[in-house]
Amino acid sequence: MSTERDPQLMALFAEAETELDDPGFRHELMQSIGKERRKTLIVWTAFVAVALVCVVLFAAPFVAAAEMATALLPSSLVSIEADWLQQLLAPVNSIAAAIAIGFLTLRKLYRRLFR
Amino acid sequence: MLVSLSRTGNRDAFSELVARRQTWVRNLMRRCSGDAALADDLSQQVFMQAWRSMRQLQDAARFAAWLKQIAINIWLQHKRRNDPLRAANQHIESDSSHREQPAIAMDLDRALGALADDARLCIVLSYHERMTHAEIETLTGMPLGTIKSHIRRGTKRLQEELSEYADISEEPR
Repeated sequence: MSTERDPQLMALFAEAETELDDPGFRHELMQSIGKERRKTLIVWTAFVAVALVCVVLFAAPFVAAAEMATALLPSSLVSIEADWLQQLLAPVNSIAAAIAIGFLTLRKLYRRLFR
Repeated sequence: MLVSLSRTGNRDAFSELVARRQTWVRNLMRRCSGDAALADDLSQQVFMQAWRSMRQLQDAARFAAWLKQIAINIWLQHKRRNDPLRAANQHIESDSSHREQPAIAMDLDRALGALADDARLCIVLSYHERMTHAEIETLTGMPLGTIKSHIRRGTKRLQEELSEYADISEEPR
């Protein structure tokens, strides 16, 4: 591809080029980089502190909720008297299975309708 | 070597890179903006962005091209953010910052300032960066025909505005 340029303008642009190597610019930039690094450190420290406080505050309720979910999710939806059948259908006959199947169905439906 | 060291977070290496590239980036920004103070602010942003993204640079040999891409993106973002009125005010306020530049640079920036933003960018990339039309197309995302037209008209306009310097290419350096 040809890119013709006016030689006089080329010369003008070259002539207008100024040597700009003052240390002030670099010094200011490196100071800004240092400030940004300190700011990032402060933000992360604050985040970790807040996360730790949350862990301390919500540890007990979280454990209780997890225990409740662990107890509730494997419960059978339909009671089956025959033990062997109960064992066989356990993967689909539970609250956890119902939630999982519901989620997968909704996702498939969403993909079919909107993609 | 400096680029590789900078990618590992070495600030001294990056500082040296800045020392070597600042003239080029600041001149590019001066030609784009026509305002020395604004150009330096934008150049600071360019290097800050480069520092933050150093780890994303895959090939150290492509540092110059990568930095140029960042510089143009920063300039385009600046143009999108600033409405013409605010830009005009900034231009007036920072008129004093021109004084540190040689007369030829001031006249060139004044002539470039008469062009529309896109045309000015195309002209700067073509004449200052010596990029081909195809390279400008890749860098700015403007259609090739528009770029050619901007450069053709912009060149004509600059020739008229800077006719007093017509003999500069014939002068010995």
